Amino acid sequence: MAKADSIQGVKRAAGSGETARRPRRARTWARYRTLLSAVASLTVALGIWQFLSSFVFNPILIPPPLKVLQTAIPMIMSGEIFRDVAVSMVRILVGFALGSLVGIVTGVLLGRIRLLHDLLDPIIELLRYLSPTAMIPIAVIWFGIGEASKYFLIFWGTFFIVVINTVAGVWRTPVARQRAAECLGATQLQIFLMVVIPSAVPYIVTGMRVAMASSFMSIIPAEILAADSGIGYLLQKSAMLMQTDRIFVALATICLLGFAVDRIFRLLVDRVLARYMSLVSVA
Amino acid sequence: MVPALTSLAHGVLVRRHCRKAGVSLLEIVDVRKSYGSEADPYLALGGIDLTIEEGEFLCLLGPSGCGKSTLLNILAGFEQPTSGDVSANGAPVRGSGRDRVMLFQDAGSALFPWLTVEENMRFGLRVRRVPQQEWPRVIDHYLRMVDLDQHRRKFPAQLSGGMRQRLQIARALAVEPGVLLMDEPFAALDALTRRRMHVALLDIWRQTRKTIVFVTHDIGEAVTLADRICIMSVGPGSTISRVLAVDQPRPRDLRDPAVARLFIEIEELLAPDMARSEVRERAA
Repeated sequence: MAKADSIQGVKRAAGSGETARRPRRARTWARYRTLLSAVASLTVALGIWQFLSSFVFNPILIPPPLKVLQTAIPMIMSGEIFRDVAVSMVRILVGFALGSLVGIVTGVLLGRIRLLHDLLDPIIELLRYLSPTAMIPIAVIWFGIGEASKYFLIFWGTFFIVVINTVAGVWRTPVARQRAAECLGATQLQIFLMVVIPSAVPYIVTGMRVAMASSFMSIIPAEILAADSGIGYLLQKSAMLMQTDRIFVALATICLLGFAVDRIFRLLVDRVLARYMSLVSVA
Repeated sequence: MVPALTSLAHGVLVRRHCRKAGVSLLEIVDVRKSYGSEADPYLALGGIDLTIEEGEFLCLLGPSGCGKSTLLNILAGFEQPTSGDVSANGAPVRGSGRDRVMLFQDAGSALFPWLTVEENMRFGLRVRRVPQQEWPRVIDHYLRMVDLDQHRRKFPAQLSGGMRQRLQIARALAVEPGVLLMDEPFAALDALTRRRMHVALLDIWRQTRKTIVFVTHDIGEAVTLADRICIMSVGPGSTISRVLAVDQPRPRDLRDPAVARLFIEIEELLAPDMARSEVRERAA
């Protein structure tokens, strides 16, 4: 998954140079067209769902979108949904930030120090198959049912993805670039800090984006199984009471939240790291 | 033991000869380079002897697989020879030296894509601790020399292939090395741009009097640029098979009969090796 995404990243970076050269009008139109087709696609999908739920399926099992909206409004008005969102978001952000930080530091060191890599890579290669969900039982035993176990689980999910992508980024720093820096007079430490790490940024960012998505996936089972708040808990509670409409509100919230967070992440990257994101290397 | 002795004696002779001349800058004495395991080594370079004079424009010419890039990497200090001596200004080469700057074929990967033209120029000045008040003068001077001073705020991705290569040259010149080691720098450019780069490079060479070691597989390029052309034979065990001095005045025109004759002469020299290199590539 990480690999596929990074290849997409390459394509996007390579393509963006071309869009910049296209005339402004064509660009605006292209943006409109994407937006329009997104709106059209969602409208049609919701329409079909509304129709099927009203006339074909049992609306108790699959509540129609309008019913879901009807349920959502009081949950929004009372702030109930925001409490759960806030709780889950804090868990994700804390775990994600810690996992990314430790993952990046570990990754650049593993990418640069061969011995360290050879020693730690076998461990990482085995442990990374333990999904955060698999770690829920032991996390609860270790850290209890509170926040610490959630931080740990999100950290666990983020760390491995970020480490692996960071190592890949460090390794793919072109040899020519490192040698050029060496010729210009840079020390090994300067090459590491001023050349290798900046060169790895696109890979690190890709890893973080994938990890963010996976954090959204792993917080839910953690909260279903072992929590008394959060979106996952909302799902669990609604299921106990057979409130399918509330389940759908929770599911829709996860979709929107994940999408919004990824967008914000990309905007931040564009703002702060744009200059590092160009992967164009071949003339 | 015996061959080692002879090569040693030979090295001493070469060195003594050069000291007499007093202008040799880079000396390569019986350099051999093999890759692979000890049990099954592949001999890439089989005894290279070469003396490069200060201010000279030297081309290493040969088909692919003749080890010319290996030799350049050894000169740069990126690779160590398996045996033999390399020295720069009389001191043995150990690791990359500040006096020799390598220029790579793929400027896109050699440049720092997250830095603007001007920031790329600053990199070498910063790591070499050149006093900051001197930066603008140095940067202006060399950017103007390669005709990029109008583009200093652009990123490498916004430059054409030829401009990127010129930036790579300017960035190297900014740290004022004695030697430019150029590894097929124009091979990826289109024919017209390449010709422009030849003119520009000769112009820069005339202004700066740098020593240039230029690797190429393009006979026309070698004939257009070089003072001396070293023709390398195809490996295993590549050597310099011929050294040709080119004393035609510059700018040279390939249609000029004297230049054309040299071109044809080299082409005929290379023909058997070109065929061998092709066979090897097909086998590999």
